Amino acid sequence: MQTQDNTMTEQSRETNDMKSEKATDPAIESGLKRLTPERIQKTINQVLEKETGPRFKAYVETCMRCGMCADACSFFLSNDRDPYFMPAAKVKNTIWEMLAKKGNVSKDFLRQAVRISHLECNVCKRCAMYCPFGIDIAYMMLLVRRICHKLEITPQYIQDTVNSHSVTLNQMWVKDDEWIDTLQWQEEDARDEFENLEIPLDKVGADIMYSVIAPEPKFQAGLIYQAATMMHAAGIDWTMPSTPGWDNSNMAMYTGDNEISGRIARAFFETAAKLRVKRIVMGECGHAFRSVYDIGNRWNSWVMPPFEVVHALAFYHELLTEGRITIKEKYKKKVTLHDPCNVSRGRGLHDKARQVVNMVCEDFVDMVPNREHNYCCGAGGGVINCGPPYKNERMVNNRNKAEQLAATGAEVLIAPCHNCHSGLEDIIHHYDLKMEIKFLGDLIYETMEKKIYTPGK
Amino acid sequence: MNSFIAFIMGPMVWISAIIFVGGLLFKGISIIQSVRQKEPYIFSYMTVKHSLRSMGAWLVPFFPKSTRLRPVYYAISYLFHILLFVVPLFLASHIVLINEAFQVSWPALNDGLADWLTLLVIAALIFFAVRRQMVPEITYLTSAIDYLLILLVLLPFVTGFLAYHQWFAYRWMVVAHVLSGELMLIIIPFSRFSHMLTAPLTRAYMGSEFGNVRHARDW
Amino acid sequence: MKPWKRKFIHRGNKMKKWTICAVVLGLLSAAGWVVVFAQEDQYLERLDSWAFESPRRPGAVFSHDDHIMDLDDDCSICHHVYEEGELVPGESSEDYYCSDCHSLKVSPDNKMPLEAAYHNLCRDCHFDRGKGPVLCGECHIKE
Repeated sequence: MQTQDNTMTEQSRETNDMKSEKATDPAIESGLKRLTPERIQKTINQVLEKETGPRFKAYVETCMRCGMCADACSFFLSNDRDPYFMPAAKVKNTIWEMLAKKGNVSKDFLRQAVRISHLECNVCKRCAMYCPFGIDIAYMMLLVRRICHKLEITPQYIQDTVNSHSVTLNQMWVKDDEWIDTLQWQEEDARDEFENLEIPLDKVGADIMYSVIAPEPKFQAGLIYQAATMMHAAGIDWTMPSTPGWDNSNMAMYTGDNEISGRIARAFFETAAKLRVKRIVMGECGHAFRSVYDIGNRWNSWVMPPFEVVHALAFYHELLTEGRITIKEKYKKKVTLHDPCNVSRGRGLHDKARQVVNMVCEDFVDMVPNREHNYCCGAGGGVINCGPPYKNERMVNNRNKAEQLAATGAEVLIAPCHNCHSGLEDIIHHYDLKMEIKFLGDLIYETMEKKIYTPGK
Repeated sequence: MNSFIAFIMGPMVWISAIIFVGGLLFKGISIIQSVRQKEPYIFSYMTVKHSLRSMGAWLVPFFPKSTRLRPVYYAISYLFHILLFVVPLFLASHIVLINEAFQVSWPALNDGLADWLTLLVIAALIFFAVRRQMVPEITYLTSAIDYLLILLVLLPFVTGFLAYHQWFAYRWMVVAHVLSGELMLIIIPFSRFSHMLTAPLTRAYMGSEFGNVRHARDW
Repeated sequence: MKPWKRKFIHRGNKMKKWTICAVVLGLLSAAGWVVVFAQEDQYLERLDSWAFESPRRPGAVFSHDDHIMDLDDDCSICHHVYEEGELVPGESSEDYYCSDCHSLKVSPDNKMPLEAAYHNLCRDCHFDRGKGPVLCGECHIKE
């Protein structure tokens, strides 16, 4: 392992020592207390037999234990190539064992299985690209999470977000009036810049429904402001829903609570259908994109999403290449770009993202590896959502990302995904990387010409 | 003794060939059937184009990134898989037997070359076993069955090599060679050797997901 | 130790593993040595393989006298005569070379190429009588 400087090595050693004191989670512990061996066995067998099919069987029977997946995993690379963290080992310590013992596993085993599936795997699917057979280990980790969900031993913080989804259809317990209030507040603020700016609510038949994740109204309302100014400046016929279904995030997808996950996605698509919009544009979030582009639609029996779902990266690309937004002066600082798994490996938007960055910034340096092969932020896949108790080990488990970032020498890190953004911010502070972190929208907002687009001009 | 040899070189060859082909065929059909029954969505995402794109990319030596990260293992493994088929199928002694049974024949490898290639296969298998001991991440995944699988492939090649050179008890060596070869064929459908059937399927599915849905490369 | 703590792999075993590997390789090469140098020279009566173009194997080990004895002087069992695909009983063909009829390749006059003729005649008879060599290397003994 190459480290960038001495301070980092010191720090990683320190944090490595902290590994021995791992966080305990009240939800996992109280959940385990409630379990009986019969229930454990019944639940595991139900999931493995009834909820899987030939795909799972083929994955289990095909793996030749070659170990080529190891090089893919951030956890493996960050922990001095400790075999325990390699993708196949995660399957060995969960699924293989469950199969071998026919579901008759102990509570200690389950405690470890929760950790492995929820905290030691970002379900980023990088390993699927490193396996010669294309075995989808993330799929199997999600199966383990499904089992944990059914056994009610999901970590507390992420379970709370699912509870929120279940009650409010958004992730952050945002109340219906708070949502509308926040949008109006942002609208009002933005009118300082654009006199007639509107955030049109429930405009039936608009071209575009813009949707965000609940953390935006909760504590990053400025992002809605920025999006509104971009929409306004670009002269887009857009709307935002005022009713539940506005939140495109989906934490239930990551806890294995497929029923609620499906409900969230369905409510989302129904909201768009009610507004009869042509397309859905979403903010810079990766997992939300995965939910409505890849997972939620499947649960609701659509092969592909019933609406064209456009991620912010692709939308920015469209606005800039069509000239709907023009850049006044390019951003000067040296920037680098993080490719979030769910939009690069998940939708191939990495090249468009680079084009946008080059249109907006003067000095762009790529990180290595990049595009589909970029290292995971370590936060996605629900890992960061397991909350502060696990932050320290998350920092240890993401040393390789810190090294990768430091090697770019960039002053600004662009992270076009909420989970990546939060995780990388933690990494930057923890490893003292002296980098600013920004969304791509931040930079576009900062550099764009604040004038309204008129066609033909 | 001669009647025993007649059995293992006659009916037993048929039996093992039928179990091998039939077993894989049955496995393939039951996979397709259960996909149809339990996971029909798989057909919705599979496309010929992206399946072939993915398989093609993974057949080009050192094209996928992970193969470049473990070049020695990958090179040996790649060569091994080719030789595993080429050596037995193009061995003069095997072609003579097939020719006498079915009156079909094809060009054979030169005996000396085949001999060296057999040694290469054996060396590759020993390398695999040693690697399981030496590389910590592989050791972590390895169980007794992995060595057993290596042994199962090793046996027909070692006995074949010794029989060709007529070292040790020739008659018993041939018997061991024939039996171990048949054993390997019989075991294939019931063990992880069946990756010769399932690996292209999982590859094709992942290739389709990446190509068709994710619009990204999977190599 | 906390129950979820992983099972540590024992890196200390690395030396031991090297030793085991070295010992195994040593034994293998010793076996190879013994095999190569334990061959004895011996004279064996063989069939002449002049009729074959660049034969892959040495001529089969064959004792004519033993066969005459075992087959009770019935030459026609091996030196047979076929006319229009039918065996002619009682006739024998000692004065001909096998290759006079059995050409190397299948031709309109000959359905049975020379190599297959030998293999089928010898091996099948040995199988039928439960006597004599039947495996490749039992006749084509290395020179």
